[in-house]
Amino acid sequence: MNFLTDLLSLIGDFISNIIHSIFSFSPSIADAIVMGLAAIILCTFAALSFMALTYAERKIVARIQDRVGPNQAGPLGLLQPLADGIKMFTKEDTTPAAADRWVYNLAPLIIAVFALTTYAVLPFAPNVVGTNLNVGVFYVIAIGSGSIIAILMAGWGSNNKYALLGAFRTVSQLVGYEVPMLLNVLPIIMISGSLSLIDIINRQTLANGNAGLPNLLYFPLSAVVFLISGIAETARSPFDLLEAESEIVAGFHVEYSGMKFALFFLGEYVNALAVAFMFCVLFLGGYAGPILPPYIWLLLKAAVVFTIFMWLRGTLPRIRVDQMHDMNWKFFVPVSIIHLLISMVLLKVFTDTPSQLEATGGILVSSGTRMLILFVASALTLLVALGIAARRARMNRLAEEEVLAKRRMENMAAAGA
Amino acid sequence: MTLQQLIFLGLAAVIVLAALFVVSTRNLFRAALMLVVSFFGIAGLYVLLDAGFFAVAQVLVYIGAISILIIFGVMLTRGMQGMEPRNTQAVGGAVVAAIIFGVLVLLLGPFHVTINNREFGNIAWNFAKDATGNAPAVADTYIASLGVALVDVNQFALPFELASVMILLVMIGAIWVARERKVAEVQADRRDILAEEREEEASIEAAKAGASSTGVPAVPAAPGLPETAIAHGAGGHGEH
Repeated sequence: MNFLTDLLSLIGDFISNIIHSIFSFSPSIADAIVMGLAAIILCTFAALSFMALTYAERKIVARIQDRVGPNQAGPLGLLQPLADGIKMFTKEDTTPAAADRWVYNLAPLIIAVFALTTYAVLPFAPNVVGTNLNVGVFYVIAIGSGSIIAILMAGWGSNNKYALLGAFRTVSQLVGYEVPMLLNVLPIIMISGSLSLIDIINRQTLANGNAGLPNLLYFPLSAVVFLISGIAETARSPFDLLEAESEIVAGFHVEYSGMKFALFFLGEYVNALAVAFMFCVLFLGGYAGPILPPYIWLLLKAAVVFTIFMWLRGTLPRIRVDQMHDMNWKFFVPVSIIHLLISMVLLKVFTDTPSQLEATGGILVSSGTRMLILFVASALTLLVALGIAARRARMNRLAEEEVLAKRRMENMAAAGA
Repeated sequence: MTLQQLIFLGLAAVIVLAALFVVSTRNLFRAALMLVVSFFGIAGLYVLLDAGFFAVAQVLVYIGAISILIIFGVMLTRGMQGMEPRNTQAVGGAVVAAIIFGVLVLLLGPFHVTINNREFGNIAWNFAKDATGNAPAVADTYIASLGVALVDVNQFALPFELASVMILLVMIGAIWVARERKVAEVQADRRDILAEEREEEASIEAAKAGASSTGVPAVPAAPGLPETAIAHGAGGHGEH
């Protein structure tokens, strides 16, 4: 069982030794080559999972919609991603006449690159990580904000008014939903005491005397809001009004076809998978799990989270742009701030390590009690906030119906008289 | 030449070339994008200085927020596509840049400058070296000490709190500037702006006419323009 658990590390060591023996005259070149190889493997993993995800998404969404999905290309439609790839390759590569060529052509490349760069800090197993940055969480969010420039480039470089409008709206959505994402990652950072992803996972395992409880049980409100903000960040359905055919004719990537559009598509799915991985690492315990090897656990958890994404896509109708901004700035941000304040106070007051008790004072409880307190506080905040939002929505709806009914009465009176 | 020096030279070349492109190109959008490249280079410099947190903060703040604002400003400028930037301050700007460069080189370079019996120069090296003459190593807990320094009343708590007050002021100002206005208010604003522009054009015409000939009066802008603009504006505002 140990062999399976350390399989990735063993393979990595094996390849690293081979390259070091080939380049024994210069260890730095060997190191550089090993790192380059690791980057290539990570990108290949992301691209292959993109293929599998497109297939899985179409099948699952089809089943939700009571149909079968792709079943023509190969047995059970398994070669559909291959057919899609061939289609993308052979499509005509158009460029608008008055477009800025450099800006137009670089935009999909930059989006794909930024989406793939997120995988450099994801830990797949205790020793298998691209680079263990001590600012891992911060890095992921910064990279997410860096891809926004590429969207503006795409919208501007297309020399198309609607692409520009779509780019503006996309950027406003992406920038807007970064705020609740950051605010909800803060409680996790506070309770883990570190920005490094491996430290966050270690706190959710049984190592070093930690309780081994996933952060989902500590901060359910953070998990829910982070999930929804993550879906909005990658502009997936139900937040995909920016690329919907009936709304704005594919938004900022309307002028792209062929391989460039395939790069946008890849960027979206790779981003969504990265958000799923981040959710698993931050809230579900990453690669921690009892029997199976750690990388299998991480992939299983990410698959479950991505299935939730696909479930939401198949079930919920598209959300309108003003509803989306309403929800963000009038619901998510205030609730996240209040939740942050409450969890800050509770985290400081209730500690479970005697050393912290001596240092800053507070009440000593067991780890389980602490989790229960934080869970109850977080869940209560979520329920109260949902109740307030539901009541406000009901008031708005009743007011609207009243206005409509009054207008109808006036029309009837005018028609009758 | 160590690898670190090579990387530094590469990053410095990227930063300087991108900055030169920013100030010398006619295409404003491309200038904004090259500014982004320059910021990335600076983030790379932070990484080279072992300050990963600041590198990521640079990407998040400068590229993820400030650059987006700049690009929005560039894209929403009226008449941007046909604009020919008339830079009448090129010479003055170059002189000021050269002066600043000279002052920085004197202060930060390995020169000793004595003015009025006061020692200047060699600042960066003096601060960087400790008692044994070596640059101090960056501690692993520098993020923690940065966080503590920001809330410690003996260190930087006051500027921290003042910064938050300033951000609050800016937010209030932004809400006031972007407030919803009634249609009549928007029309009145538009009329004022167009009246100002007409005056400007009239004065330019007067100056040209006065310079070229002696007594020919200036021709004012077409009177039909403001009404159609306001009607279009009101119609556009109405149909949302």
